[in-house]
Amino acid sequence: MKKTVQSIALFIIVSTSIIACTKSDTATVLPVTAVTVHDIPADTVVGLSAQGIPITNGKYTFYSLEKNAIVPNTDSATTKWDIAFMATRIITNGGTSGTGLGGAFVYTGLFDGLTSIPTDSVFKTDNAPTSYAITTGSGKGWYTYDGLNNLITPLAGRVLVIKTASGKYAKMEILCYYKGGVTLPATASDADKLNKQRYYTFRFAYQPNGTKTF
Amino acid sequence: MFGQLRLVHDTLQMQGDSVVVTANRSERKLSNVTVPVNIVNAKQIQQTGALRLTDILKEQPGLTMTSGFGAGVQLQGLNPDYTIILINGEPLVGRTAGVLDLNRIALGNIKKIEIVKGPSSSLYGSEAMAGVINIITDASTSIPLQASLRYGTYQTIDAGVNNAIATKSIFYQGFYNYFTTDGYSIRPNSTSRVTTPIERYSINQQLKWNLSDNTNLAFGVRVTDEKIKNDISVNNGGATITSSGNENNTDQNFNLSLNQRFSNNLKTSFRGYFTEYNAKQDLVTLSGDPYYDLLNHRFQRVENQTDWNVNKRLNFLFGAGAVWEGVKSTRYDSEKVRKNNSIQYGFTQLEWTPVQKFILIGGIRFDKNEAYASAFSPKLSALYKVNAKHKIKLSVGEGFKAPDFRQIYLDFTNAAAGGYSVFGTAQAQQVINQLALKGQIGTLYDSYYQLKALKPEYSTGMHLSWDYEPNANNFFSVQFFRNDISNLIQVQQVGAYMTGAQIFSYLNIGRAYTQGIEVEAKHKIYNHIIISGGYQYLETGDKDQIDQIKAGKVYTRDANGYSKLLSLSDYVGLPNNSKHKAQFKINYYHDNGLFANVRVMYRSKWAVNNTNGNEVFDKGDEFANGYVSLHTSIGKDYKNGFTTQLGCDNITNYVDAANLPNLPGRTFYATIKYQIFKK
Repeated sequence: MKKTVQSIALFIIVSTSIIACTKSDTATVLPVTAVTVHDIPADTVVGLSAQGIPITNGKYTFYSLEKNAIVPNTDSATTKWDIAFMATRIITNGGTSGTGLGGAFVYTGLFDGLTSIPTDSVFKTDNAPTSYAITTGSGKGWYTYDGLNNLITPLAGRVLVIKTASGKYAKMEILCYYKGGVTLPATASDADKLNKQRYYTFRFAYQPNGTKTF
Repeated sequence: MFGQLRLVHDTLQMQGDSVVVTANRSERKLSNVTVPVNIVNAKQIQQTGALRLTDILKEQPGLTMTSGFGAGVQLQGLNPDYTIILINGEPLVGRTAGVLDLNRIALGNIKKIEIVKGPSSSLYGSEAMAGVINIITDASTSIPLQASLRYGTYQTIDAGVNNAIATKSIFYQGFYNYFTTDGYSIRPNSTSRVTTPIERYSINQQLKWNLSDNTNLAFGVRVTDEKIKNDISVNNGGATITSSGNENNTDQNFNLSLNQRFSNNLKTSFRGYFTEYNAKQDLVTLSGDPYYDLLNHRFQRVENQTDWNVNKRLNFLFGAGAVWEGVKSTRYDSEKVRKNNSIQYGFTQLEWTPVQKFILIGGIRFDKNEAYASAFSPKLSALYKVNAKHKIKLSVGEGFKAPDFRQIYLDFTNAAAGGYSVFGTAQAQQVINQLALKGQIGTLYDSYYQLKALKPEYSTGMHLSWDYEPNANNFFSVQFFRNDISNLIQVQQVGAYMTGAQIFSYLNIGRAYTQGIEVEAKHKIYNHIIISGGYQYLETGDKDQIDQIKAGKVYTRDANGYSKLLSLSDYVGLPNNSKHKAQFKINYYHDNGLFANVRVMYRSKWAVNNTNGNEVFDKGDEFANGYVSLHTSIGKDYKNGFTTQLGCDNITNYVDAANLPNLPGRTFYATIKYQIFKK
């Protein structure tokens, strides 16, 4: 319900800004609001094999930042989605991952501190399976993996700067990888670590007017 | 009867003026020692009900027990890797991930334990960076036969026999110990026992032959064999794999020494030492897959040391030796091939007493190593006796720790956890090059090009202490310490496979410090009761992390989970370190043989896990709770040679399965001991 309200609000902002653009030549910069999205599943564990190996469906969850909503998998070949999640891997709609204009890079700093994307920034695109715009691997992109306790923790001070499928800009901070929005303690049960993982909580700000300022 | 009197004296002595051998590598009165030393004597060990070395060390000021890879000891904030453990001056080997499991050492025939704080590499070489713990076995032959039996919670049985034979020129002392425990589980609904069923045998034989008044030959053997029934659960990519089997660890030491006294002012000793530690894990998983792990460490040393009392004011000590050591392990490229290192070293120490009130000691040691860079360790220390009541000690020294075999030779690929590899520096570049030729390497980092022969880790330590002994019934001491560590060897990612799996090796990159204050006080009342207390305040930090925080490059998270800059005041330093640690003890001993004690230990919270998305430990991370543990024992020494004792450890039943696996819940025990006194 809350998400719907936010979507409507965003829609109004989007539409008014478009109207604003058509009315005058100067782009009116409206403040973008940050939205927090909870518990987006990202290829969660659905069972265990006879050998005890976790089973998943091996599918991405596609997400539209513009609409602030999950996009059905049937639309994976379209530009309706901007970003997609499968376990710790995050892809953008561009390069080898999609047909859109999408790309991304990982900015080190604070979410609120990033008020405009530096002009010399380079948006990378996915080149699966060799490299991804949002670097995969522990400590290299957006998370660290603690092998001893089998836990994923999002790195603090990392902002994913995203170019959407339609060439607009957004910034995103991953807050948590576990259901409920709280990283499990090291002492959590193996079952919890298995079943509550792969749920993203993140906040993002989408700039609908095409500028690089937030 | 004679024995009884001796016991009374031992029990109620304060700091006293006992003899210390570890501080100067030569016998000195405690009152003339220039560095901080703690002595734990046999009577304290017995009345505490301590069975293994861990039991007694955890009650000493400045020491904290760690629980990964067995029970290690942390000294003034430095990890177990940095404290050398000696038995009668000879080092114990066989460390797993830098930790020497102190449960290996039975306390049944220990005369005393000397703990020297501060870098002591100028006398002992590698590992003596935080300090030295020297366990001195009882070679006395005054008690021909002694037997003891203890039974306690978790079916714990400890049985020991000491025997001694002395003739005019031959002295023999033997010690046999058997220990078994059924283990305990403090995780509810779990079959995984925190301490698994263990059986340990320890044998110690010492033989001394006085060839003449001035010459003696001594031979010693010490063997510890432990069998651990191992049921372990390993989490592998979310799946739990249970395996069972046995772990067998054997520790053997042999030493032979020839000691010659030329005059009251000149003596020399030749010592030969051989030790071997063999650890074997032989497990089978539930699905029938075998798991086998072997570590075998051999260490051989010959050494000569000469003590020369030049005159009343000048004491001169010098020595030299050679070490051959080697390790075989399934974790190296081949378990069949022993990886070897040889060390040649020389040391000297000058002790100058210009006036009775003042002692100045300067020492230096050089260690030349085959497998890694050489090390040079100087030390300077001084003692100033202000008057009969006040003493001030100051010492500054360099310590070092050689890279261990694992850091040089490890060749480990974890097929289960994503296929990451760790290569020791000896062959990291070579192995990675070969993999690159096969097209398996995806990326190489700058750190790959920085790989080279490892240097030892270095520390510079400074200790300043003030001892105040107003009278025979009171003692007070305060000590300030600071250790600066450089060249810390750290695991570093050097590249990645095509699959993305990480490749690690080791580099000398870290810098850290520990500093703090240690306070000790003892007070004797009515000749029967000693009240003693100790407190340690500790600060630690990684200097590179501190620089990063100051530069505004380290982030943490606020209550909403949003990132924010980390401020230095939220930084907590190195993990597993408690800021505050204290102990308080009341010991009672009556002339009729009755003894009792209550001991309270406190440790404040410590960081255990990095949970908020940065690589540093700060206030937002996961901490283990601070805790208090309470122990007591009561007993009686009877005139006919019997001693009975009842005890209860961890009275309040404090447990923390995740962070304190070595602390069982409340345990009770009863001991009976019988000794025949010499007529």
